[in-house]
Amino acid sequence: MRRRVIIKSLQIATIFLATSLILLPAGVKAQRPIKVGVIDTYVGPAAMFCNEALNGFKLALDEINKKGVLGTKIEFTTRDDKWRVDLGVSMAKELVMRENVDLIVGTINSAVSLAVSDYVKGEKVPYIVWISKSEKITGEKGHRYVFSSGENTAMAGKAAGVALSRKPYIKYWIAGDDYEYGHAIADGIWRNLKAMKPSVEKMGETWWKTGEPDLIPYFTSVMGAKPDAFIVCGGGMTMANSLKACKTTGIHEKIPVFMHTATDYAVLKPLGLEAPEGVMGTMDYHFYYPDTPANKAFVKAFQDAYGTPPGFPAFHGYITAHFVAEAFKKAGAVDKEKFINALEGMVIDTPVGRVEMRACYHQAVLPMYLGVTKKVPQYNFLISGDIATLTGKDVMPSCEEIMKARGK
Amino acid sequence: MDFSAFSSQFLVGLSRAMILFVVCGGLSFVLGVLRVPNIAHGSLYMIGAFATFTLAKLIGGSAGFWIALIVAPMLVALISLIAERGLFCHLYQREHLMLLLFTFAISLILGDLVKIVWGAEYRSVAPPALLKGSISLLGISLPRYNLFLIIIGPLVAIAIWLFTNKTRIGKISRAAAVDREMVGVLGINVSWVFAIAFVIGCYLAGVGGALVAPTASIIIGMDHSLIIEAFLIVTIGGLGNMWGALVGSLIFGVTQSLGVLIWPQFAIVFPYVAVVIVLLWRPKGLLKSVW
Repeated sequence: MRRRVIIKSLQIATIFLATSLILLPAGVKAQRPIKVGVIDTYVGPAAMFCNEALNGFKLALDEINKKGVLGTKIEFTTRDDKWRVDLGVSMAKELVMRENVDLIVGTINSAVSLAVSDYVKGEKVPYIVWISKSEKITGEKGHRYVFSSGENTAMAGKAAGVALSRKPYIKYWIAGDDYEYGHAIADGIWRNLKAMKPSVEKMGETWWKTGEPDLIPYFTSVMGAKPDAFIVCGGGMTMANSLKACKTTGIHEKIPVFMHTATDYAVLKPLGLEAPEGVMGTMDYHFYYPDTPANKAFVKAFQDAYGTPPGFPAFHGYITAHFVAEAFKKAGAVDKEKFINALEGMVIDTPVGRVEMRACYHQAVLPMYLGVTKKVPQYNFLISGDIATLTGKDVMPSCEEIMKARGK
Repeated sequence: MDFSAFSSQFLVGLSRAMILFVVCGGLSFVLGVLRVPNIAHGSLYMIGAFATFTLAKLIGGSAGFWIALIVAPMLVALISLIAERGLFCHLYQREHLMLLLFTFAISLILGDLVKIVWGAEYRSVAPPALLKGSISLLGISLPRYNLFLIIIGPLVAIAIWLFTNKTRIGKISRAAAVDREMVGVLGINVSWVFAIAFVIGCYLAGVGGALVAPTASIIIGMDHSLIIEAFLIVTIGGLGNMWGALVGSLIFGVTQSLGVLIWPQFAIVFPYVAVVIVLLWRPKGLLKSVW
């Protein structure tokens, strides 16, 4: 009698277990968190920017996951591309094939971004670039699966073109980092400036290898050439070295100098009060401007979490997370194609105001702040002063221009 | 191209060559006496620069930089002494490939240690008040700090010459470079001679790092770009030859600087073309190699 009871209860237990095993996968699928793969450079000089972008992203996810998205959470996993294209692509493959991520975000190196973009196009996985600035990413090499939540060289170029075309300078000298970003920004600035003011002339160009620590020989040679203005095109490190070379040679006191991101906090902070004053620059985010409640709240939250005010990478990482969350909410399902449809044309509230993800070519419409490096009493580093805001729409190429570049 | 532009460019190149010489002189000294191709030399240069930053910031003001210029290389020398006594001294008899791999490993470890201690952000040191800005002479404009470097370079060269030619330990080092067995046979403790030579070589890397600090941003990875240039310089100068390091640095620094003036779009290639020409012409280097 007891044996029968035991057998009976074992049978019931088996049936129960079997049923739950059959039902479980479907249940888990509905509950499964949204998985984001982050690829970026976490070694070498670029690591500073990438870590900050990741911090911005994490800060936003903490806020988002409190309420949840589609009844679940957004999780992420990071991969280090070590600034290498081959590694970036293999990391993307690993994230897609093994980790089954729902989308990929990140990448500071434009060459890596273009390669990863090419890969995700085949795999039909959404990919949001947050720092790389080559306009090719959402321009001529753009496609359905790639987005950019950061500014790009076309926007920087147009902003610089607008700014410089208002100045009386005619003869220009252009110098910069000899890699994709340096050349892209130089082409962008020159193309726009020449279009807006055809009388400008290019006296010459100088290119140094990326990461060249001592730019003084390059700057003294430009001083010798005596152009009306000098344009420097390069990434974060080069900006710092260029500002240093300005200070040492005093070139900015004789020849007006324009550098796209010279007014960036990350560039100016380490130089302290030793940075040169009066260097013109454009930037898409400042923690002290615009002085709005939304920006103040973001700055405070970031400062509390990481002990430092946010720079532009943090801002990009932060808005990327919000774009992801809002797009999934709008899509109503964890589905890659629905996610893309939802993200196209989406407008979200950000620390700098409403930001739109342009539907036709997947580029975030960001404002550009034009200013000059300036000392102010409240900070022990220089900030961007006399800021003039160029709205995103003013500095972005039109849909027609992009479609033309894509050969459509 | 006018004369003043050419001259100021030449002088800037000369000052850049002086930093290269200080670093390469140390590398060449170690190569000559110890026969160790020390890839970690670049990392010690980087540590010198970071230490200069920290000391200059701690002390503050113009005095900060001057004290850092003296103390930071000593810290580097101390690190190198520990590395020499703990690791290098057991490996001198190994073949060159082994030593190359070993020093490469050390450079990676030191690189990561720098990242742990100072982080990935770049740092900046301001030149002391005395050396800020530029001076103009006969229409030639030159940053004061670069003028200071042009003065420092020959002083270092003279100091090295005095050390290797006028001191007992220097003479023994030179002898050890030529025939280390004979030096041992004479009853001299070769192990300590090697330790001192190594520390002096690394000290110079630290001086180079301290000197470069006000001219460039201090950042992890600055060792890699330098060490490639440094090896090219000691190779074209003649391995282990101090004066060769000076000649090599001058060729490298000046061709780079003048290249910027002559053909700016392709400025990067000038020093390397110079290296190729020298090596085709004299494969063993311009001056006598001690190898």
